[in-house]
Amino acid sequence: MNKKKKVEVKICVGTACFVQGGADLLLYNDFLDPEVLSGCEIEGSSCLDSCKNAKAEVADVDSKPPFVSINGKIYGSVNQDRFCKLLEEAVNA
Amino acid sequence: MNDIFIDVDYSQIYKHDQKIGGDVFLLSRNPDNNQIVCTLSDGLGSGVKANVLASLTAHMAHKLSFSPINLTHSAKIIMNTLPVCKERKISYSTFTIADIRFPSRDDIEVQLVEYDNPQALHFAGAEPLEWSRNLIDLQREGAFKKEILSQSQFRLAVGDRLVMFTDGVTQSGLGRSLPLGWRLDGARRFIKGQIEANANVSSRDLSRAIVRKAYALDGLVSQDDITCVVVYVRRPRRAVIVTGPPFTQEKDEVLGEKLKAFEGRKIISGGTTAQIVSRLFGKRIKVDMHSWSPDVPPCSTMDGVDLVTEGMLTLSKVATVLEKKIPTSELPDDAVRRFVDILLDSDQVHFIVGTKINEAHQDPSIPVEIGIRRTIIGRIRTALEQNYLKETSLEYL
Ligand code: FES
Repeated sequence: MNKKKKVEVKICVGTACFVQGGADLLLYNDFLDPEVLSGCEIEGSSCLDSCKNAKAEVADVDSKPPFVSINGKIYGSVNQDRFCKLLEEAVNA
Repeated sequence: MNDIFIDVDYSQIYKHDQKIGGDVFLLSRNPDNNQIVCTLSDGLGSGVKANVLASLTAHMAHKLSFSPINLTHSAKIIMNTLPVCKERKISYSTFTIADIRFPSRDDIEVQLVEYDNPQALHFAGAEPLEWSRNLIDLQREGAFKKEILSQSQFRLAVGDRLVMFTDGVTQSGLGRSLPLGWRLDGARRFIKGQIEANANVSSRDLSRAIVRKAYALDGLVSQDDITCVVVYVRRPRRAVIVTGPPFTQEKDEVLGEKLKAFEGRKIISGGTTAQIVSRLFGKRIKVDMHSWSPDVPPCSTMDGVDLVTEGMLTLSKVATVLEKKIPTSELPDDAVRRFVDILLDSDQVHFIVGTKINEAHQDPSIPVEIGIRRTIIGRIRTALEQNYLKETSLEYL
């Protein structure tokens, strides 16, 4: 194993995100590649504040919940597939 | 809200093979004038006849103690009214009336009237206290024996208990496990031990323990109805629920102060609210990624707060659980279960509701219900009051 710094991931578990698909992301243990998983430090956030202001610095064209923050960058409309891809990229970066 | 809580409960086991009790207990709380009246009556014999005698007695005693008539006179009225037994030419039922009044929180006064029941016991913590009783000879015309009424008054302090029982308790074990029965001394020693073992034992648990013990002494074949009533004065267990950000930001501080000053358990429900408090207290919110279920987001922890949950989804689920009286043991281990457990473990629940409109919920794809914090809190309060007899209060911020 390399000593690379882990990718910091925050899944929003606030109301808006949770009901619009955030709940699916919480199953990350089941759908993420274990190797990717081991390269990430996954936490929850009670609200990433992106649901409140549309003009938040979301690194994404489509800024709708559920939101996830990866190494401080916020992504919207994250579903399981997208979550896998984003994390894979981040881990291999 | 009151600063004292008077926990009254009783337990009862009928005489072996009887389907109806000859011991009757009545309780009423009159919150308007801070009065609680407990009446315990034991009718002569057992079964239906005894039940009728005891019910009549208890109801009369009860009614009379809410009236200004003096107690001795009341007792005479009761005795004169009871139906007379054809064979034995006696009408007879024993009773204990405890009329508890508490005009202020440090002043709880008991008027105790006892007629032929075993003496009531008063404990301060685990220590039994003695007090003097006035004996009144009723001198009723046509009485079949000398009728002595005992009347006394004393105060109850926080941590005190008043224990009342029928002779099914004191005579348990008579001629069986104990030649003279359990007697008052035995019961007193047992109760002392129970309180020493668990200083905060609830009235329900203590009365149950006493009745079970008496039943065991009777060799599990009760010789008489066994009834025990416990009155326990304690500080109320409290919980506060903070939900929703205050209407204006300046009020955030007020919210923080109120939460900090509150004595009791604290729940924050709502992500934004949690963030406000986290900022004010300088404490981190840590989401517990394991405690969630498909319709309830995970709960979190924060130093100084007992539970942090998501807002609307959790609250509306809590309301449903309370309305339907679903036992928490049937719920998954998620935020709702922990939330309800705290509520049910409290006597008084205070809600601090922030009135700022949450921008996030204006999304049309979220169910309408979510926009209505007040309605949900209203449902929770009603369910707590009506289904679980809790005291609740509410303030908007
Ligand atoms: S609820 Fe997810 S960003 Fe606010």
